[in-house]
This record gives sequence, structure tokens and C-alpha cells, in this order.
Amino acid sequence: MVPIKTIAIVLAATILIALPLVVKNAFALDICIRVLLFAFIGVAWNLMGGYAKQLSLGHAAFFGLGAYTSTLLLIRLGISPWIGIVAGGVVAMLVSLPIGWLCFRLRGPYFAIATIAVAQVLMLLFLKLRDFAWGAEGTTLPNLGNAPLMMQFGGKAGYYWLALVLLALALAITYRIERSWMGYYLVAVGEDEDAAEAIGVNAPRIKRDVYLISAFLTALAGTFYVQYIYFIDPNTAFSFNVSVEAALVSIVGGIGTLWGPVLGTILLEPTSALLQSTLGSGRGGVQLTVYALILMAVILWRPTGLLGIFTDTYQRIARRG
Amino acid sequence: MAEALVVRGVSKRFGGLRAVADFSFSVNEGETVALIGPNGAGKTTSFNLITGYYRPDAGSITAFGRELVGLPPYEICTLGLARTFQVARPFGQMTVLANVMTGAFLRDRRPHIARERAREAIRFVGLADKENALAADLTTIDERRLEMARALATEPKLLLLDEVMAGLNPSEIDQAVGLVGQLAQRGLTIVIVEHVMRAIMAVARHIVVLDHGQKIAEGTPRTVVGNPEVIRAYLGTGYAHPHPHATD
Ligand SMILES: Nc1ncnc2c1ncn2[C@@H]1O[C@H](COP(=O)(O)OP(=O)(O)O)[C@@H](O)[C@H]1O
Ligand SMILES: [Mg+2]
Repeated sequence: MVPIKTIAIVLAATILIALPLVVKNAFALDICIRVLLFAFIGVAWNLMGGYAKQLSLGHAAFFGLGAYTSTLLLIRLGISPWIGIVAGGVVAMLVSLPIGWLCFRLRGPYFAIATIAVAQVLMLLFLKLRDFAWGAEGTTLPNLGNAPLMMQFGGKAGYYWLALVLLALALAITYRIERSWMGYYLVAVGEDEDAAEAIGVNAPRIKRDVYLISAFLTALAGTFYVQYIYFIDPNTAFSFNVSVEAALVSIVGGIGTLWGPVLGTILLEPTSALLQSTLGSGRGGVQLTVYALILMAVILWRPTGLLGIFTDTYQRIARRG
Repeated sequence: MAEALVVRGVSKRFGGLRAVADFSFSVNEGETVALIGPNGAGKTTSFNLITGYYRPDAGSITAFGRELVGLPPYEICTLGLARTFQVARPFGQMTVLANVMTGAFLRDRRPHIARERAREAIRFVGLADKENALAADLTTIDERRLEMARALATEPKLLLLDEVMAGLNPSEIDQAVGLVGQLAQRGLTIVIVEHVMRAIMAVARHIVVLDHGQKIAEGTPRTVVGNPEVIRAYLGTGYAHPHPHATD
């Protein structure tokens, strides 16, 4: 007999892949794409922030670098964003090295604050780069219609599938890491760095390595996002909201778990999109307030994240069955 | 016999406090040495100096011919030195098995091998029935067992044990003494910090006594226990009497 878990996964995958063929409503599809994208960013953040508990609040730095790298290559040199997306990932990795070198010596809230500062500095830098990177005004991306080779799609379905592939990639990487020595080392460093070093864990190196992976993946999201909205400026690319949301979806869903960020995004992102559409311009403040309320509720009621409710229930059923 | 560990003229100050002052001692391969002394004598600080958590202000530390000063703790562990912490530091959100596997990954990155080696260490310390328990749920005594299993999983040549028997009842102490004896028999070099004199007499052939960061005596258990300065600083006058063989 095929295990029930396999059936469930195949079924879920089929539904997810077929969804844009059924759902034609652009608004609904847009929400789905945002859910997939932010789940992807959350999973990327969670590798470092969740497993290794290095609470970065500056992942917008890599999102922005990915977005700008591919856009600059596209507009200045006509290079396809398919190449640009990888180039952006590499740039993000390179930049993560000095950031990590500077910030990893700080622990706890100091680390988080330092990462915020780095993302802000990058935003300021791109605001100043008027000739090279369009400064504060930003730029629109050339609309090529349906040009899959240039990562542009006629309808939303193409973007949906691309976001789905990205999320699947990040989940597969996390799954592999979680089960390998690296997963154990990350959690050990997150729990107690000194105790980890006592049993041979090279904490600086493991933090550097997971930062590289996390930065690379986050940069892919940046490229995807500008290709999707056809626009880039420093405030969008290095938005503090991206940093916050990456952390928030993981914390709400379940930090340091494979599916936590996905669950967190499914709960938070539609909420935010609906608020945005019903309340319009008043969004910023209201959205943050709602997020803060959700976060407080989760921390008070389920500090390890909401995923625990599902796994607990699953285990109860499994034990009974 | 070759020397496993040589500590030479090591000093460490914390502000105005001389926690360890010009401390020297050495341990031969395969030997079990006890480091004793009153609270605050500098025993734990010595462990922290040897294992790279503190950098000595002066002196040198070599293990198996390699200079350790300046190396980070994880490299020192890779060289074959493992330590336990006086206050156990389990990875609370991991199971017992996962804790010990993390140690075992140092020598083999393959999960099934690490799992096997971890199980061996867990069985050895007597935690087999709790391998799937969350480390955060362990009792203090089981935490110590875990601490030891995790250190052993790194396959050390030299093991530094910091008060692993504190708070144990007499039968648990006998068990722990048995474990240390078995490790010694396997050829492991051991430095043990302990207050339980009965245990020290049972496992150590050589004792080093620290007081106020300075070595005040060293030698066989018998000579150390009879040393007037050791009795004054640490054992108290009552110690020698119930053990007629302890004094010559
Ligand atoms: N990190 C530290 N900072 C300041 N003082 C310390 C530190 N670690 C230890 N000490 C001091 O050094 C002395 C020796 O401590 P310790 O090595 O823990 O003694 P022992 O393990 O022999 O009981 C004590 O006075 C202690 O308060
Ligand atoms: Mg101590």
C-alpha cells in the first residue's frame, strides 16, 4: 500500500500546480502568488533565523540586491533575468560575507539591530546612485508582453508557477539540511553556541554558510518580485516590510520547522492583502497594527508557533489509529 | 610515557582577581588525574583555559604535542579534547539522541553512523530509555549523563569532567565511578574535577590541589590527603581520621 503521506503530498502538489487553470480571478491569483513568494522568503529566512536562531531583521538587503542586480543587467546590458536572478543570488552571497563577519560577533537583539542598519545603509546607497540605478525615482521595467525567456509572462499563471518552483526549491533545500549534520549543527548553535563549540561545532563557519544560502535564496525572491510588478525603487527593493514579514511568517507559523513559514504566510499574507484592498491608503499603519496583534496572540498562546497545533493533532490521531 | 596534556605557567586574571596564577601540571596518556580545591579555587577556569573558552594572560598549554593557546574551542575538541560543563548545557529543544548525534557528527557526517555512535554513548551513560526525551525535560542528574554522552560521542582522547558527580546519592556515585573507571580502562586520559573524595580516591592515581588559583600540592592520593596545607585549605582536620590508610 502507498503510505497516506505520499498520497497527501501528491494530491496537494496536483492541486497547487493545477490551481491557476481553475482560478482565473486576477486578485485571487495575485494573493496566491504573494503567499508563495513570501512563504519562499520566510523559508529562506527560517534556515538562518529559525534553525540557527540568528534573528535577522535585514533580509531586505538581499531581496533588494537580487532585484537591483537582475534589473541593472536587464536594462543596462539586455541580459535575461534568468541569468540576472542567479547573478543576484551570487551578489547577495558575496555581500553576506562582510555583513556576517561584522554582525555575527553580536548576539541577540544587537545582531538584529545591526542587520536592520545594514539593509538601511544599502537602501540609502541606492537612493544616492542616481545615474547608475535611477535613484529615488526608480524605474519601470520594459514590458515585453509574453516573453518567458525574459522572465515575463502574459498572464499571472506563469508567475504563479515560477513562485511555486521557488518555494519547492527552498523547501527541498531545508528538508535536506534539516536531516543532515548541518541541521543538527544549526539547531545546536541556535540553542547554545558555547556548548556547540565544546563538541566541535565550528559556529562561525556554520553561521556564515547558512547566511550564504539564506541570502542567495532571498535574492531570488527580489528578482522575481520586480519582474512581477515591473517596477523598482529603493523603497520597494529594500523595504523594511520585507525584512519584518520574512521573520514574522516564520515566528507565527513555527520557527525552525520546515512548514512553519508556509503556514504563517497562509495566515498573514491574505489578511494583509484583504486589509489593503478594503482600507486602501490607510494600509501601512493598520497592517502593522494587525500584524502586531497577531504576533502578540501567537507569543502568548503558542510561543513555538501555530504549526505545533497541527502536528500535535496529527500525532494524537496517529496514536489513536 | 608520553604526555597528553602539559599546562605550563598559566595565569588568568579577571579584573583584580587572580583566578589562576602560574599554574603548571601535566597528565600522561592513559592517566586519570583529579583536580581538587575549594570553591573558587580556579578549577573551572583552568578547564576554560585548556579548552579555549578563555585565553591565558601568560603560559602555554599543549595537548598531544600541539599548542592550544589561541585555538578556538571547536578546534581543540577536534584535536581530541572533550569537556563537560559544571552546569550542564543541554540543547533543550533537541531530543537526547539528537544532542549526542550532534557530538558524533564531528567524526562522521553520515546520519546513520552518527546515530549508531550516539546510541552507544547513550547506552554507556545509562540513558537508553530516554533517548527520545526532550533534553529540556531531563532531571539534573540525567542532564549530566547527557553532557557526558555528548562529550564521549566526539571520540575524545582526553576527557575533562567538571563536577559530574555533584548532587548524586552514594549509589549513583558508585555508578559514576564505575563509568569513569571503564573509560580509563579503555585508555582514555581523564582530568576530573570533583569534591566527592571517595570518588577521587577510587579513580585518580594522581591529584593536583588548587587554592586561590595556585597549586598548593600534588602527588598520589595518599600523600595529598596527608599534606597539612591541603588539610588546612580544603579537606579540614576531620578528613584524615576516618581513613586509617590515608596517612602514613
Ligand atoms: N568569567 C569570569 N569573570 C569574572 N570572574 C570569574 C569568571 N569566572 C570565574 N571567575 C572567578 O574566578 C575564581 C575561580 O572560579 P572557578 O574557576 O569557577 O572556581 P572553581 O571551579 O574552582 O570553583 C572565582 O573567584 C570566580 O568568581
Ligand atoms: Mg567550578
